[in-house]
Amino acid sequence: MAIKGSVEIDRERCKGCQLCIRACPTKVLGADTEPNSWGYFPAKAIAADKCIACGNCFAVCPDVAITVYKL
Amino acid sequence: MAEEIRLMKGNEAIGEAAVRAGCRAYFGYPITPQNELTAYMAKHMLAKGRIFIQAESEVAAINMVYGASSTGARAMTSSSSPGVSLKQEGISYLCGADLPAVIVNVARSGPGLGGISPSQGDYFQATRGGGHGDYYTIVLAPKGVQDASDLTYEAFSISEKWRVPVLVLADGLIGQMMEGVVLPEPIDPATLPRWQWAVGHSVEMGRPYNHVSSINLVPDELEAANRKRFARYGQIKKELLRYEEIEVEDADVVFVAYGTSARVSHGALEMARAKGMKVGLFRPVTLWPFPYARLLELAEKGKRFLCVEMSMGQMVEDVRLAVNGKAPVYFYGRCGGNIPSQEEVFAEVARLMGK
Repeated sequence: MAIKGSVEIDRERCKGCQLCIRACPTKVLGADTEPNSWGYFPAKAIAADKCIACGNCFAVCPDVAITVYKL
Repeated sequence: MAEEIRLMKGNEAIGEAAVRAGCRAYFGYPITPQNELTAYMAKHMLAKGRIFIQAESEVAAINMVYGASSTGARAMTSSSSPGVSLKQEGISYLCGADLPAVIVNVARSGPGLGGISPSQGDYFQATRGGGHGDYYTIVLAPKGVQDASDLTYEAFSISEKWRVPVLVLADGLIGQMMEGVVLPEPIDPATLPRWQWAVGHSVEMGRPYNHVSSINLVPDELEAANRKRFARYGQIKKELLRYEEIEVEDADVVFVAYGTSARVSHGALEMARAKGMKVGLFRPVTLWPFPYARLLELAEKGKRFLCVEMSMGQMVEDVRLAVNGKAPVYFYGRCGGNIPSQEEVFAEVARLMGK
């Protein structure tokens, strides 16, 4: 069975650089349409069910804003 | 001392470089995307027993810099585009009083409040003085975190040497980006010289008291002061001019870009070279003084220029002035906080070269 995962984004740590969006092989992530308190548009799991817990997004995040869980 | 490498945000690296340069007083006011810089200074300046004040406004902060600099202390402020507009009055006064200062602009998109994403729309403001009256400030444009640290560190001594404020023109991307940075040697402010032009210490230094001011109501005297300052500008143009060239010698088309745009253009250059296209990159490090003469030299060698900016086209005017009609100058720009991708810039140069 394929590995399922889930991704959690700390909206306030995220500066919206979108590196994780590029790094995700299954296109789980997109930019939020609501800004955080800094005014940045953080990453958001727009297709959460596609997460395979590969951890690419977590690995590229320069601001340690992402946690990935293996389900 | 062993080389110290840290992973830092651009804003924090600028702050650490200023602390290490012996910055004695920092005055700031929060604005995104440079907030981490003010926060960093709050923590580290106070911890070192130096001056940190969060002013009530940007105008107050720049006038505090004026006061601190009048005493001969290394003083600094930072902001982002709308805040730097507010500081222009104070910058003009600093120039009028021949005071050194370091001002950091982590630029964002405009006009007006604009957005908080990176932009290079402050080029005109930065390189033409920005405020009222006949003056220029020295403008240094870093292309990344290492460069931001190095140039900020150096900005203090450059500013003192010429008694001209130095503007470090970064942008929101450089401020927010995290990269490895080798930090410079710390300087103890107590070891820095006392200046003859500063206020205070007149008895110890055996000179009459100084009155630091930018006012002069006698036209002939003011003209003479301005001419004296412009003679210094002439020297700065000879001695301070800096630029970086990458694969320019055999290039047919040369990108002209600074800061973030230069990083993106370098990526496009590598894509073009991989396809055998003769593309080069010319990156001014000092935006004022601007390297007009070198660009003219390249124009006379038959090169074409593609100016890449995160604006509607500002530095491109200086490139046209430099080449003086001797070479075609093209422009590619994005604005509003959008950053061109290297693919986009490559596509533009490929179109120009008919590939």
